[in-house]
This record gives sequence, structure tokens and C-alpha cells, in this order.
Amino acid sequence: MTKVLVPTICPYCGAGCGFFIAVEKERAVGIEYMLDHPVSEGALCSKGNAALEIVGHQERLTSPLKRRGDGWAKISWEEAIGLAAKGLGDAKKRRGPASIAFLASSKCTNEENYLIEKLARLLGSPHVDNCARLCHAPSVVGLNRTLGAAGMTNPIPDVASSRCIFIIGSNLAENHPVISRWVHRAKDAGALVIVADPRETHTSWMADIFLQLAPGTDVALLNGMAHVIIREGLLDGEYIARNTKGFEVLAESVRDFTPEKAAEITGVTADEIVRAARAYASSPASSILYSMGITQHTTGTDNVQAVSNLALICGHLGRSGTGVMPLRGQNNVQGACDMGALAEFYPGYRKASDPETIKYFSSAWEADGLPTGPGLTATEMIEAATSGDVGAMYIVGEDPANSDPSSRRVRKALDALDFLVVQDVFMTATAQAADLVLPGAVWAEKEGSFTNTERRVQWSSKALDPPGSALSDREIICRVALSFGLDFDYPDAASVLAEINRTVPQYAGITRDRLETGGLIWPCPSHDHPGTPILHSSGFKLAEGRAAIVPVPYRPAVEVANEDYPFVLTTGRAAVHHNAGSMTRRSPSLVSREPDLYVEINPTDAAKLKVVDGDPVTVTTLRGETEAHARLSVGVKEGVVFMPFHFPGTNVLTQETTDPEARIPEFKVSACRISRRD
Amino acid sequence: MPVYVDVDRCIGCRSCEVACQRVHGGIGHIHVHFVGDFASVPIFCHHCEEASCTIACFSGALYKDGERTAFDVKKCTGCGLCSLACPYGVVWTDKIAHKCDLCEGRAEPACVATCPANALTTDYELASRRERARAARAAAKGGRR
Repeated sequence: MTKVLVPTICPYCGAGCGFFIAVEKERAVGIEYMLDHPVSEGALCSKGNAALEIVGHQERLTSPLKRRGDGWAKISWEEAIGLAAKGLGDAKKRRGPASIAFLASSKCTNEENYLIEKLARLLGSPHVDNCARLCHAPSVVGLNRTLGAAGMTNPIPDVASSRCIFIIGSNLAENHPVISRWVHRAKDAGALVIVADPRETHTSWMADIFLQLAPGTDVALLNGMAHVIIREGLLDGEYIARNTKGFEVLAESVRDFTPEKAAEITGVTADEIVRAARAYASSPASSILYSMGITQHTTGTDNVQAVSNLALICGHLGRSGTGVMPLRGQNNVQGACDMGALAEFYPGYRKASDPETIKYFSSAWEADGLPTGPGLTATEMIEAATSGDVGAMYIVGEDPANSDPSSRRVRKALDALDFLVVQDVFMTATAQAADLVLPGAVWAEKEGSFTNTERRVQWSSKALDPPGSALSDREIICRVALSFGLDFDYPDAASVLAEINRTVPQYAGITRDRLETGGLIWPCPSHDHPGTPILHSSGFKLAEGRAAIVPVPYRPAVEVANEDYPFVLTTGRAAVHHNAGSMTRRSPSLVSREPDLYVEINPTDAAKLKVVDGDPVTVTTLRGETEAHARLSVGVKEGVVFMPFHFPGTNVLTQETTDPEARIPEFKVSACRISRRD
Repeated sequence: MPVYVDVDRCIGCRSCEVACQRVHGGIGHIHVHFVGDFASVPIFCHHCEEASCTIACFSGALYKDGERTAFDVKKCTGCGLCSLACPYGVVWTDKIAHKCDLCEGRAEPACVATCPANALTTDYELASRRERARAARAAAKGGRR
């Protein structure tokens, strides 16, 4: 029997590892490692190794479903598309196109995201967003302002050339495990690793200097470091003069931010802050890697800007081994943003509020009346659903009922909609609230391109057919669009990519036939362009070619521990799970290793609460309460507790207060109380 | 021991466990042991030169094949003596004995290929070079390790 190896891209995190699916008789029989992949070199984390477990899973959706009373009725695609068209069309007729909102998916391909946002805008709705809002919206806002581009500045393997790696608010050892291979390679060559995190994580095991700061005090730490760098003259004056503006204002703003003051706020000693600042500034090539610990705050944009300030004043940008690296959490969250599935951007980061953008796409898409943005963000859509401003939603491959903060409020909002259509591969909590559920395809069952966290665009091939009558998301979107009389004639993913080549300048040279193993890193403006692994090597795409140094005042988190809620709850991930868990909690070899929701508590706090390891406890915040098992750990400081957000309970607790600019909720800091459950 | 572990590199991601399970029909032979909240180390058959399991095995199911401690499932009686004999607790019995077979038939054991942090290797030279580099770094910092 012939076994075929089909090259695909892992459906989990943003590292974009490749692997082969071995297919025999139209069935997936195993995974083979892709040894020549530039990021993973054949490696895969536990999730990647378990990826096939969700492909043929018995709970996969295999037929369109419509709500019938409390249950579901299987229906044909004809009926389903008719219902979708009627539901969305009714909302449009009754209250105008702006009463429909779309959530695109960072799990879908670039081509599919492009089609979703195109459908939304051709129907006249400016409201299309994706879950980047919940992870790296502050990077998009902050880095676009300071550096003129929001992606990772350097590719992952380039980390190996760093002499000092500063990891802040990222537990990459568990969340992007293959990146740790490149960190270790740098360490082998003598690099120093600094890790800043409120928790001692597997990532902190790699650290030479570990800064255990209090949740929500990142700006204070970064300002303290900037103070030391400026005071001790460790900055790169020539770089600042040639490439930046705004340094004087920053110097003034951190003049009083001594390490002692930073120490008081962060709980890290002044000595450690000085040591970290010296190490970062004085190495010949330093990189900063950050993630949700920086972004998921009401000060998310500030945090990002403080990170970029540090890189700019030390001139650690535009060269091998340097850079500012936002590590993205999903396989195509970068791509979904590039494709314009964002409230404030059309494809290629063209501002939705700019009349030029509207003019451009009116001609490119031969359409009139395209909506001017910015539209509602993912978090604002939920508010608008509650208030009735949004009457219908089309959600593709996202699970806001679990992934958004204060999930009880989200479920109420979804129930308040006149019409909700959810397109997904499993019956998620969000799909449970829908009027119509459309069965989509997982990565292995469709083809298309995915853009990983390094801006690397890679092609993933189709290995299998979707189960039952499920269809690829491209086919479903096209069918819905056709029912509105829109000209969505895209026979395959390559035909969509060809249109993307024309309308997204960064992707102009990234054609289907050029996407071999390893793909291409955008910007790639022409067919003979090799791609741009390192950004900002010759100035910045901002006024005068200069990056902006933006002073960032320290603001405390919205919620602080108080008498009623004496603990600070912070959230994050565990190695064997991914995001809201709709895939990993269905994957036997993963869920068996981390079956239940737990809360990490410092043993001293636990003793006061009379809690021992494994005890069932109730965690309560102003939003609600959740049951979990206590897990005693000296990895969290006294007064701080940690919960992974892969289980439905966690986001019942988190708060919906958002960053004023990027609209990301403050997942990382909530005041809570804990009690024994008996 | 044909698979070398660099404990400094292990990040406790448990990829090796899932990969081992995946290529062995659901039953894994490697286990990541966590030392408090500070370190983790994958534990599996050392393929000892003088393997007590092979000495204890009366049916000849466990035997030395060069560097490898090999296992012939057809001869296993499931008596469990090997589990008792193994000083590292990495052979166990559940109807038949289970232990690492170094992924016979694969170019490289799955755990080695999949390890995201490069903590596992079959390359003796690499393992010893890392060890020397570590000692050199420690000496440069003025200490011993």
C-alpha cells in the first residue's frame, strides 16, 4: 500500500512548525517529522504530536445544524445557506448592514480570512475582527506607532545569534516550545538570558537573571531599566540621533524612575533591575521576546511601547540577533491581521478610516458603498450585542463564550442576538448559543497559506477530506457570499492568494508556486524578492524614516488586591493545552496529562487558607466564581495566584475592562478570594 | 546509554511522552519527572551495559543487542521480574513488559527527533561537548561544577 506524506503546518501556536501527515487509503496513519523545516528542524511539542487526535474525533461536526427547541436538527447545505442568508439579510434589511458583525478566525488560512473580511465589507458592515484583539492588539497599535510595523522584527532562528535575550511576559518554554531550542543555542554560544514574569515558569529555568515582578507592573520595570541605561550612558547615542525621535521626552519622563522606585512598585530588587539593564544595554546584540504577559493589560499598549523604547535607545534593532519579538499565540493570528480581519484595517494594514483605502478597495473589488471604519472590535461586538446595536453575528472558528473575559456576560450577549451563525469544527460553548451551526474543516482537510509569528507565510496542503458533509471554510464562505449575489468565484485557495498578491502589497510576491518548505517572510513586494526576515535594517516606515520613542507613564492595574479580594489572580497557559481548549481538551493524550482546572497558590497562603495540594477550592471575583483544584507552588509569590485559561471556568473570573487604545481586556490581573470548598 | 539527556535543556513540555505514546500504539516508555517547581527530567531505559533486567529475565525476552537492551515480545511471559530488577524503575509490566526500544525501525527515536529544546540526543560527541562547555563556563565564572 502506498503511503503518501503530505506537508502541513501545525494548527496550534504561532511558531509555525511543519510536519508531514502520513496518509494511507485516504486515512491519516501518522505524523512524520519535517527535518528541514527552518523553525522546528523536525521538532514538535506535545500538542503538535497529538494534532491528529482531533482530526477524526468522534465529536466533530459533520452536518449543518439548526436549532430546534432545545436541541439540534441536521439540515442540508442548501437549507443551511438559505438560513444564513435569511438571518443575516433580515438583520441588514431591518437595521442596516452595521447591525451585522463578523468574527474571523486565527485558525483559518489567509485566504479564508481574506474572504471573511471581504464578505463583511461587501455586505456593508465595518465590523470584522479576530481574536488578535485578545492577544496582540496592543502590539499592532503600539509597534505600528513606534516602529511602523507590528510583526516580529527578526525570525525565530535569529534568536540564536543574540548575545542577550530578554524574555518578558512570555512562557515560551510551554507555549512556543520550539523557540526554546533557539534560546538554548544562543546560550551555548554564551548569551545571557533574562526572564521577567510574575511566576517562576519553565521559561525561567533558562534564565541567568530572573525578575519576578508583581502582575501589572511591567511599565515600572521597563522604565526603571531605561533610567539605568540613560543614567549610566549605556545607550546608543548615534543610533538614537540617526534613527529616532522623542528621546529627550523619554529621558525627562524616566529621570525620577530610579531602580529603587521601580523596585518598590515591582517587588524586584533594585540590584537586579540594574543588572538586567546593564546586561541588555551593553551586549552587542540583544533581543526582547514578549507575549501575553505584556499585552493582556489595561496598560497593554503602554507596555509594548515601553518594550520598544528599550530596544530603540540601545539601538538593538535591524541587525541579526536584535529585535522586538511579539510571540503570537495562534497558527494564523498574524495572517488574519495581515488580511484585514481587524476592525481598524482593510487588508495590508490600510487604515479603514482613510478615504484612500475605501477608494482603493472600491476599485480593486469593483464595489460601491464599502464601509468606512474603524468597526467594532471583538470585545465591543459583545457589548453591542447586549445593547442591541448588533443584531446578527457570523462567528468563524472562535469561541468567545470561553475565550472572552467575564464569560457569563458574553453568553448573555450571544443569547440576546436575533441571529447567530457559528462555523466551527466542534460544538463549542459559542456554537451552543447559535441558531445555525456550519461544520468547517480542520487544517489537514484543506489547503492554504498560514503566516506564523515571524511573518513567515507557509503553504499547508490538504491531506484528507472533511468528515461527513463538512466543507472547507473557503467553500462555506463562498456559498454564503454567492447567496447574497456576490461574485465569490474562487475554485481553490490559490485563486484567492492570487487576488491577495494584487491587493496586499506585503504579499505581492508571495505566490503559490513560490511557497516551498520554509515559505517566504513578508514584506515580499515582488516575484523575485527573497522576503524580508529582518525589519528596520534601513530606517523605519514612519515620517522621516525615524522610529518614535514614546514616554510611558506608569499606571497601576485597574484591580488591586483588597480586603474582600485579597489575592491577585493572573492567567496563562499550560504546556499540554491551547487557548480555550476546544481542541486540546478533546485530545486524549493531552487532556489525560492536565485534566482539570487548577489554581496555583503559594504554600504560605495555602496554609493560611487551610488548603493542601489537590484540595477543591472556590475562586471568586466580582464577576463570578469557579471551582478548581489547589496546586501548591512556590513559583507564585505570596498574594498572587495563577490559573490556566484552557478550561471554561477561568474567564468567568476575568474582567472586561480594556486598554483604552487597543481594547484588549485585562486578563492578567484580577482581584480574587479563595475559599475551601467543603 | 544511547540517548543522552541534557537536564539543563529540558523544559518540561512533555513532547517526548506524547511522541513516544504516539509511535508505540498509545503506550509510552518515557516519563518526564518534575523536581518541585525547578526542573524536569525525562526518565526512560538507560540501556545499561550490564542490564539487570536481562539477567532477571528467564525467558530470554530481554537481551543485550549491542548497546541496546532489546525486547522480544513473543518470549515475554509477563512475570514482572524485570520490573523488580530494574534499578531505575523504567521497565514495568502490564500483561507484558514495557520498556524503551529506541524506536526500532525509525531513523532516530521519536523522543529525540521531537524534543523542541534539543535536550535529548543520540550523539555522544554532542553530549560530551556540551558537558565540557558547561564546565568551561563554570570555570570562567570562577567556580566549579
